[in-house]
Order: sequence, then C-alpha cells, then structure tokens
Amino acid sequence: MTRAFSWLLSLGALAALALLLGVFAWQSGPVWQHEGAGYVTGGKWFFRQHEFGALPMICGSVVVALVALIMAAPLGLGAAVFIAEYLPRRSRLAVKMLVELLAGVPSVVYGLLGILLLRDWVYETFERFDPLSGDTLLTAGILLAVMVLPTVVTLADDALRAVPATQRRAARALGLTRAEAIWSVCLPQARRGIGAALLLSLGRALGETIAVFLVVGRQDNNLPVQLLGAGQTLTSKLGGSETNIAYGDPLHWGAMMGLGLLLLLLTGAVTLLGSLKGRRDA
Amino acid sequence: MRKARDLIFGTIAAVCAMAALAVLCGLVFVIARRGWPAMNVSFFTEQIRLVGASGGILWNLVGTVILLATAFLACTPFAIALALLERVWLRSHPARRWLRIALYTANGLPSIVFGIFGFIVFVQWCGWGKSWLAGGLVLAMSMLPTVTIVLIERIAAVPARYVEAAAGLGLRESQIVWAVLMRQSWGGLITGSLLGLARAAGETAPIMFTATIFAGATFPRAIAESPVLTLPYHIFILAQDSFDPAVGSKLWGTALVLLGLVFSLSLAALPSRLRIHEESNV
Repeated sequence: MTRAFSWLLSLGALAALALLLGVFAWQSGPVWQHEGAGYVTGGKWFFRQHEFGALPMICGSVVVALVALIMAAPLGLGAAVFIAEYLPRRSRLAVKMLVELLAGVPSVVYGLLGILLLRDWVYETFERFDPLSGDTLLTAGILLAVMVLPTVVTLADDALRAVPATQRRAARALGLTRAEAIWSVCLPQARRGIGAALLLSLGRALGETIAVFLVVGRQDNNLPVQLLGAGQTLTSKLGGSETNIAYGDPLHWGAMMGLGLLLLLLTGAVTLLGSLKGRRDA
Repeated sequence: MRKARDLIFGTIAAVCAMAALAVLCGLVFVIARRGWPAMNVSFFTEQIRLVGASGGILWNLVGTVILLATAFLACTPFAIALALLERVWLRSHPARRWLRIALYTANGLPSIVFGIFGFIVFVQWCGWGKSWLAGGLVLAMSMLPTVTIVLIERIAAVPARYVEAAAGLGLRESQIVWAVLMRQSWGGLITGSLLGLARAAGETAPIMFTATIFAGATFPRAIAESPVLTLPYHIFILAQDSFDPAVGSKLWGTALVLLGLVFSLSLAALPSRLRIHEESNV
C-alpha cells in the first residue's frame, strides 16, 4: 500500500517534470519550423513582422551572468577561505548561518534596491562614458553578483571543509605556513567542489528573472557589445508582458517558448555539470 | 618573508569576508531603516488605497499566506513519496542515481520556467485564469526538489541498527517505513518545507502569470478566476514607477514585511539544520 502510493505519487511528480520539458519543446515547434537555426543565430526580433532571432537575449543572459560571477567569485572565495580555514568552529557556524539566511533575500527585494539605489549609482559613477540611463547590463551584473555571493560563499566553504583535517595537519607538520597550506593543499584538493560551487552559482545567475528584469533596461535587438548599454536577457524577455500578448499567435508563442527552452537547456546543463562535479554519489 | 606572506594572505581573506558580510548585512539594514516608518497596526489591517500610496497590505499578506499553505499541502505527499522511493524502494537499483540527478537538476531550474509552465497548464488548458490554486501548485512544484533533498538526507541519517532491529522483530517493509524511518524524519520534512517556503514566499516569477494581481482581490471564493494579492508582486509593480514619496515609504515597508516573513521561515528551520551541521562536522 505504502509502496504503491509512493510509486504512484513519485511517477506523478516525475511525469510533471517530463511534461514541463515536453511542453517547452513541443510548443516552441512552430518557431523552429519558421526560422530554423536562424532562431538561435538571428539578431533581430520583430514580432509583428514575424521575425524572431534570439541571439541578443542569449548573449545578454550569458554576459550578465558572467559579469556577476567574475565579481562574486574572488570575493566569495576569499570569504569562504576565511570562514572555513581561519574562524574557530563556533563562530564559523554562526557566520555560515548568517550567510545562508542572507541567501534567502527575495529577488524582488534585490530588484527594489537595484532600481532605487544601484541604478543611480551606476549612472553617476560612469557618467563620463555617457550611458543613456542607469538601466544597463552592468547594473544587472552587479546586482546579480551580490545575489549569488552567499551561494558562492556557502558552497565553497562546504568544499573546503570536505578536505580532511589530517591533510592540513600534515602540511603544517612539514613546516608550511597556514597560507601555504591553504594555497597548496586545501585549495587544490577542494578544486572540484569549488568548481561545482561556481557552476551552481552561474546557473542561479542565468535563471534569475525579477531582479534582472527591473534593471537591465529590456532593450530588444541590442547585441551586448558594451556593458553600459541597455540589454535584454532570456529571463527578462519571458518575464515581460509579451508573454501575455503572444499566447494566441502560435508562431509568436512558439518564439517565446523557444526562449524558455533555451533557458532550460542553458541552466539545466550548467546545474547538471555542477552537481555531477560536486557530488560523486549524485 | 614567508611570515609576511602568511599575514597578507590571511588579511586578504579576512577583508573579503568582512566585505561580503558588510554588503549583505548593509542591504538588510537599508531596507529596515527605510521600511520602519511605515510600520504601524493599520499597515497590517487595512487594504491598499490610492495605488499603494495609502492604506495597508492586509490582503497581500493574506494572499501570500494562502499561496504558501496551498504549496505546503500540495508538496508534502509528493516529497514523502519521492524520498521513500529514493531511500527505500529503489535501494539497490541503478535508477536511484538518475532520480538523484533529476532532483538536483530540477532544484536548479529557474522559477520563471515553472511560472510559464503553470500559465500554459493551469491558466490556459485548465481554463482557471489567474487563480490562487494555480499559484500554489506552481510554487509547490518549484519547492518540491528542495523539500525532497532535505528529507532524503534526514532519512539517510536514521541509524541502520534501528531498521535492522525493526526487521528483526518481523515488521514488514511498509511498517518499518512508518514506524521507524518516517517517525524519525518528520523533522526533516518540516525543515525542508520551511526552507522551501522561505524561498517560495519571495518568488515573483512563478506567480505573476498564474495567480496574482496588483489590486482588487480579497479572499478567493472559487478556483477559476480567483486571483489573490501578494507581497512580492506588490513590490514588483510599485518598484517600476515609484516616484511618489508616499508610495516609497509603503513600498519599503512592504519589502521589510516580506523580508521579515522570509527570515522567520528560515530561522524556524535553523535549530535542526544547526544540529545536522554539528553532527557532520565533528
């Protein structure tokens, strides 16, 4: 009885996941027929003319997420090294709990901070480069960097703590200083785990919608050639009102679903890679 | 020379940790300071008036609680079923690895994808329009992997000798599941649910196409065409055109309430997580 129910509900849940993937693949069908590979390589999106090219959105997503990771990774790794290697156990737990608590700040709250504070700051700081407004790819990148920072810190800390204490003791016994032990023993041994931490953070950054939506400028048809320009990401396009407009027109809706499919593949691949790297049992 | 390098390395790590914590705590502080003036009893007991410039957020709070309760109820049976499948029924089966991979990957899927999926399935195919039930189910889907993973870890921590003793007494497998494994693991279900709910409470992307509107809804009395007001969507809409200072204060107030809700959910999960950390880091 328990067993049957367990199987039934589990299969239901897995079927829902499969349906999710299937729906995006199936509903995006029309646009693949209409545009072919040009859907991924095309740079122009004019839905009234039935012209759909997703390249600016794909590049926008990748650029914004990479900017975020480039800023968050060094700071986050440094913080993780300090928390894992220097702090005594009790305060380490306290700081880690604080960081995990802060990882839960909702994205709409980050968006609010971005729109009311960060946007003006970016505009004033980079005024000599003549940005049109504070809504830029860079603004979204900075905001995302702060958002993924707790994830980087806590996962990298886990990776460092997974290095056995005997390794540290052996290194110190050989006469290495603390910094040398960390640099040439702990960090190399935690390489896989740190790589996984960065990949999972990248996945989060790629999939973040609301905060990016509020500060990225949502300018269509702009390839992200300069960071101080407005842009569009896969998620900000999907989060916009065009999703409501598009339902009814199979081709236009197909194009929107295609964006969802691309987003699924991108984040799915990055997350899958990250969790395979991080856990040998997964 | 080596001593100096050791010192510099440690200082850099410490500075990174300070900077990361300062940024994250700083933004909580900013919200608390700006949101505090809006806090008074009527803010929680009145409905919004004048497009958010006046009144309170009663129905937004009620709507968010309705969505969370629905998500919790819908998620629980599936989480138990999936966790039991992974821990018990697929104990020595190669498919177990695939189930784990699916769970970790689903955990990294962007929430906007769940939102669009809910829009297609519930809003369009089921013809519900915007409905609290659609939003609750979508949130349940998005939190299911988190809850399941935490529950799996807790079941895995039940000492093997308990199971052996129960088997030695002649209990059937389903009796062992309920009398030993689940009896020891309800805490894990609660912890996982609290963590999942903390994330779900702040989510905007999954509910904006499926469940929530900005104004004009109170307590839902049906399933179809019964949207609710929510805290995140309130912030999301007001953040986009908040030039009225009166709106501004209410806006930060709403953000503070949402942050308080999210933090209390994750703080409630803290004690049992702390215990797991202590156990795994001796």
